[in-house]
Amino acid sequence: MAIHSIYTLSKDDPEARNWLSFFHRRGHTRLTNLIIERVFWLEGSFDLGKLMPLLVNTLYQVPAERSQLDPRQGPIVEIAYRPAVTDPETPSILAGAHALGETGLEFARLSRRYQFCGLDESEAKAVAARFLYNKVVERIRDQHEVVLTLRPSGKPDPVGEVSLRNLSDAELGALSHARSWYAPLSQMKVIQAHEQERGRPYTDAEIEILVQSWSDHCYHTTWKSLGLLKKLSEATRRINHPLVVSSFTDNAGGMEFVADWVITIKGETHNFPSSIAPFGGIATKHGGVIRDTLGFGKGAYPIGGTTVMGTMDPRMPDDEVPVGALPPELIVSESIRATAYYTNPMGIPMMHPLYRCHPGYAKCFALGHSLGLIPKKYAQKDPPRPGDIALLIGGETGRDGIHGATASSTGMTGETLKKESAAVQIGHPITERRFTTAIPILRDQGCIRSITDLGAGGISCAAGEMGAETGVQLDLDAVPLKDQSLTAWEILLSESQERMLIAVPPEKLAEAQSILRRFEVTYSILGRFTDTARLEATWKGQQVTNLKMGFLWSACPIDSTATAQPQRKLQPVSIAEPRTRDAWAEAVHRVLSHYHCADQSAAGTRFDTTIQGRTAVGPYGGRNHRMPTNLYVSAPLRDKPNGVITTLAFNPFYGEINPGAMARLMMFEAITKAVVAGADYRQMVLCDNFYTPRVRPDVAWELTRMVETISSLSVELGVPFISGKDSSSGTFEAGGRRIDVPPTLAVATVGRVENVKQVITKDFKRPGNRLVLVGRCDPEVVGGTVYADCFGERGDSLFDAYDATTIRAQWDRLLKLHSARQYVSGSAIAEGGILLRLFEAAFGSGLGARVELDAIPPGRRDGLLFGEFIGSCLIEVSPDCELSSHLAGIPYRVLGEVTEEPRLTVTERGAVVWEEAVAQLAESWSKTFREVVK
Amino acid sequence: MSQAKTAILYSPGTNCHEETAAAIELAGGKAELVLLKDLIDGHSRLGDFQAAIVPGGFSYGDHLGAGRIFATMLVARLRDQLVRFLDAKKPLLGICNGFQVLTEAGILPDRIPGHRTMALLENQSARFEDRKLRLIASAEKCVWTEGLAGQILEMPCAHGEGRPLFCSAGTSSPARVVFRYGDEKGQPTMEYPSNPNGSPDAVAGISDETGLVLGLMPHPERTSLPAQYSQDGLKIFQNLVRWLER
Repeated sequence: MAIHSIYTLSKDDPEARNWLSFFHRRGHTRLTNLIIERVFWLEGSFDLGKLMPLLVNTLYQVPAERSQLDPRQGPIVEIAYRPAVTDPETPSILAGAHALGETGLEFARLSRRYQFCGLDESEAKAVAARFLYNKVVERIRDQHEVVLTLRPSGKPDPVGEVSLRNLSDAELGALSHARSWYAPLSQMKVIQAHEQERGRPYTDAEIEILVQSWSDHCYHTTWKSLGLLKKLSEATRRINHPLVVSSFTDNAGGMEFVADWVITIKGETHNFPSSIAPFGGIATKHGGVIRDTLGFGKGAYPIGGTTVMGTMDPRMPDDEVPVGALPPELIVSESIRATAYYTNPMGIPMMHPLYRCHPGYAKCFALGHSLGLIPKKYAQKDPPRPGDIALLIGGETGRDGIHGATASSTGMTGETLKKESAAVQIGHPITERRFTTAIPILRDQGCIRSITDLGAGGISCAAGEMGAETGVQLDLDAVPLKDQSLTAWEILLSESQERMLIAVPPEKLAEAQSILRRFEVTYSILGRFTDTARLEATWKGQQVTNLKMGFLWSACPIDSTATAQPQRKLQPVSIAEPRTRDAWAEAVHRVLSHYHCADQSAAGTRFDTTIQGRTAVGPYGGRNHRMPTNLYVSAPLRDKPNGVITTLAFNPFYGEINPGAMARLMMFEAITKAVVAGADYRQMVLCDNFYTPRVRPDVAWELTRMVETISSLSVELGVPFISGKDSSSGTFEAGGRRIDVPPTLAVATVGRVENVKQVITKDFKRPGNRLVLVGRCDPEVVGGTVYADCFGERGDSLFDAYDATTIRAQWDRLLKLHSARQYVSGSAIAEGGILLRLFEAAFGSGLGARVELDAIPPGRRDGLLFGEFIGSCLIEVSPDCELSSHLAGIPYRVLGEVTEEPRLTVTERGAVVWEEAVAQLAESWSKTFREVVK
Repeated sequence: MSQAKTAILYSPGTNCHEETAAAIELAGGKAELVLLKDLIDGHSRLGDFQAAIVPGGFSYGDHLGAGRIFATMLVARLRDQLVRFLDAKKPLLGICNGFQVLTEAGILPDRIPGHRTMALLENQSARFEDRKLRLIASAEKCVWTEGLAGQILEMPCAHGEGRPLFCSAGTSSPARVVFRYGDEKGQPTMEYPSNPNGSPDAVAGISDETGLVLGLMPHPERTSLPAQYSQDGLKIFQNLVRWLER
């Protein structure tokens, strides 16, 4: 069939300009211009003229039947999808062409031609390979290639056999590594013994399923071996909170909201893929955690999300980046681009965009949350029944993400970057968006008995888990493929994104199909649930798997893990207190421009924060909409003023000093942020996300400390964890160097407020109002603070001044004060201390503040301004507020007052210690992040 | 309450239809979500509605160009219904991606399906821009902004392609600028980010010559409901409801 091509250039191309400046920043300064030509490849017989308005808008694009690039201007690199892979746009082009009546168009593809003016060919190819395409699915197209057909082609391998019989331990280990299984020897031996027992070798699919399902990523072997997996869920059971609807059993946790609605929360990390291919890794981080919401109960609807990134310092020079790791600047900027690429089309408001750095994140921390909404009557799944249809919906299955689960369960080495790039998935938000619209309708029509997403382990894991009690029979020929060369085990294990599995009652199948067709969601009948208690699959007439569910889900051996308390080498902080006004100014500017305190809106404004129309308080507020609120408040039900409030705490520094204390402080920080806004901690639930180095005795000790701390504290506070995720693979190794992530725990809260309009934000409200520090402070302790980090120090102790009883007493007082409407602005103290809060509140209001150091106990003066008094708050009250009665029994200090003039002033005994205009401070604060993400 | 129904058209990738319907209802109108495929398949008819809104989102993933495929469907499959709708002098609003759809379809500014004379180009920053903005309503006669001349309306934008390009050559009726981006003093501005996309003449929204069809990049439905940070956007929907009640 004839193949036509159309080459288009944009008359004005901001994207090309953006890449040009990106490459300049990355040191390719000889690049004088970058031109992007887009090519349509069209197969069939059709009237090209009629198709043109679909393909090209001539107001801003110039089409031609030949390339418009002059090869003399520089080397051209053309990037296209691999022949076996379908372009994501192909169905849209075909649908558009068919709408125009051009049904003779049989297939379409796209490619992009980049012309690198000023570079030589090899440098151009190297740049393209590093930044412009994903080798798993794309390729550089040879300019002399003869194209016979555009249709995906390729020939799959037949089902293979694997026998472990008579292999020595060493041979088992070598096989496991060579096949990218990364299974511990104990598992290999159990699998070997089972082969003997059942009397026949494994198919390649069977052994792949076993090692996949038993990987740390899927089976949480590290946590199980330390007895940690049950600790949090047992604590939650002990609390027996009346609002908890679902905890730790489903794809997310659920809390009762109002009027028979439930709010769900899930946090998921995607550290490994994001470290080796940040764009794909981060896009699918969001796609995956959103599907956890869709896969909660019988299908919840996503109403909010977060992105939390921990990387090495993005300002790190290229030559200091560990060999085998990607430059952190690239990870951060690609992650921002990917978050925008995925969450904006999904139509889900960004609640908390948060970026932190630490030299230990050579393997980055990439966390995303998803908040969901579901009627209470659909918050529990029903078990599938024999005879139910296993319906696969969403995208086609491809080669992407194979071995994602096993690869992400191991550490990362320089070699990983090359070997495991196939483990990175590709995300297409439009596909997920389609079933996000359809799932609530399927649910409300009774078409869903059970639903789950396809994530790690693909079809094998989703079908294997859903059918664990019954058995399931799969027909792999029914699976729509985007890559025709996939063999059976790859179809079973592919982690291609945007797919969900639904157990549909047989009598509801026709209705489900009709709903899916109406919303243009691709589906296929993957198989049926059975009563055989086996995971069975066939493909092209061959038996692919026949595994006992009992063996699959309960034979995994758990190796014991030794623990040993690590010896920390901590040094007390040695920073000299500022003595002059200049020294104070220097300290203030350093703190405000620190990566953790600086204005991150250059990233945050690329994410939609108001979509769905539910946002009452977004991540940015104040008069200029750039003041970080540290809050997100949603009004989920359009006819009710009730709100859901979410907050986050994540600090990569504290864990280095004391992991247990860090874990406690993260809970205090996250909850206090919500309480000072007016949310009752008694109507709040939590979500935990851990990230720790690959397990060793010292790591195991620290991890155990953290989990035990938050389990017992949650019981003492009565605030339960309902969902969470652990990743125990935060170790990077290359060139004889080992880099461990710092002990990491991010805590998210989900709370309820009766009226979103009563939420208190941090911006100052009226000159003359008093500023009060509620709670304890200890200016002598600056360990772990941003201030200490600004001077290259960590310190040896943390401000850790509360226990459950004292902090609850303080929260109770604050809540009373809030319901009596006694304070008009407020914020919890965290990174950057009181100083950052004063600045943000002034910046957001156009007002200023005067603070008197006399108010505080003797000790370091810098410690008062920069100390991170987690659990304490800064509030603004009117001059006539009777503090002594309202705050009786808890510590508080009047620090100063709000001023008309937008300036921060610090005095002691009447003399000015330091002062500066807010506008000047804002310059330092705004600069840091803008330079990173430019 | 008016019995006139407003169709909120949506397709795969549209993601602002529910809140847009909620804003119409709060304004006292009656809104119905209408799937584009149902119109094409003949299960719904545009003629049954007295007004229509194409809401925001990423219709069909914005493949080939923002709003391109949705517009192609409208022009190729629903041209007759569309022409009858326009001839019947019914109000039509495109918000964000909906505005992109209306320009790709040639409905704005010329009311001629298939005849493109304006485009919405990638933002000057080459980025998606989520900003809370001030819009200045002009004195142009427009169903959706009656009585708002000179007022400043707060509402957010959230788009990657919103920079208008007008092609004066092919147009029979130049676009009328209904909204401009304003600075803190309430003056039209070219300053980023108050003008979030580099729009010439600070153009944020335009109407056709009849004042019935409005295209707007920012989102009035996100400052309409009581929980939102402002309710300025509701005025636009209230204007529609008043007009329909006449």
